[in-house]
Amino acid sequence: MRNNYLDLLAYFGIGGAHPGGLPLTKSILRNEAIGPSNSVLDIGCGTGQTAEYIVTQFNCPVTALDNHPIMVEKANERFKNKNYNVTIVNGNVENLPLPNNSFNFILSESVVTFTSISKSLQELYRVLMKNGTMILIEMTAEQTLTEEMKIKICDFYGIKEILSENEWKARIHEAGFDKIQIVNISTELVQSEINDLNPSPNIDIKYYDIWDQHNELTDEIDSQLGYRAFRCSRS
Amino acid sequence: MSNSNVYNLCCRYQGKVVRIQDRNGRVHVGEITRVSRDRVWIRPVRNQGGYGYGWYGYGYGYGGFGYGIALGAITGIALAAALFW
Repeated sequence: MRNNYLDLLAYFGIGGAHPGGLPLTKSILRNEAIGPSNSVLDIGCGTGQTAEYIVTQFNCPVTALDNHPIMVEKANERFKNKNYNVTIVNGNVENLPLPNNSFNFILSESVVTFTSISKSLQELYRVLMKNGTMILIEMTAEQTLTEEMKIKICDFYGIKEILSENEWKARIHEAGFDKIQIVNISTELVQSEINDLNPSPNIDIKYYDIWDQHNELTDEIDSQLGYRAFRCSRS
Repeated sequence: MSNSNVYNLCCRYQGKVVRIQDRNGRVHVGEITRVSRDRVWIRPVRNQGGYGYGWYGYGYGYGGFGYGIALGAITGIALAAALFW
């Protein structure tokens, strides 16, 4: 199924396309004990900006997965001729082509939201090792979110549901994770500077229109929508 | 990118802060102040850096419209900041 919004991110090749961008990623990972003996899975890796940060910062093997062919291509381009321990996988989070209990740490930066949430969470649980940690940074409905706006957002971004903080916790718990914390971050919706861009040649004007529509919708959403970072572990 | 596409995009983003890539691989970040048939003028801005986004002022030494870039030299143009989900 085509998703115009995800195509836009892919064609422009935007790194850190999630609330908070790379600065948020860094501030969260700073508090995690990730070492060279750990294995990390970055789902929805996009062009691989976060994966590059993790492998250079923590010197551990990283598996970076995306299901968008252009993202996978641009991630491969990023790591070409670099001797990093990064494996890029073209795959779907709802049906991960990865063995059980294979990662100490999983990161999802605004990815699960764009999938069948429960299905993906079950898959992530399956591939996470016992005592492993998963961090999700995901779109979250605030109490003020109206039904009308919900439909508009789902239509535009091609998503099926928008969960509140409590609904997220319940879903994560249902998937088997036994400890779920909210990471203390600023969840204010602010724009970030785009400084990691790898645009495809001759991007269709349609995607510039979609970008403008996205900006208009984000203004309209105002404080009805936010995001949270969930820190989840399994025993 | 064709010149007419670049021209239309520059007009669309007039007054906004954009990121322009040129044929030589250079990146220009600034506010579009003026567009003509064959050139776009941008006034460079500097990011305050760190968390979030904000421009704390224009680059030194660029008065008026800033500097011009030939439309024919532009290979990519996009808004310089955004909030993506």
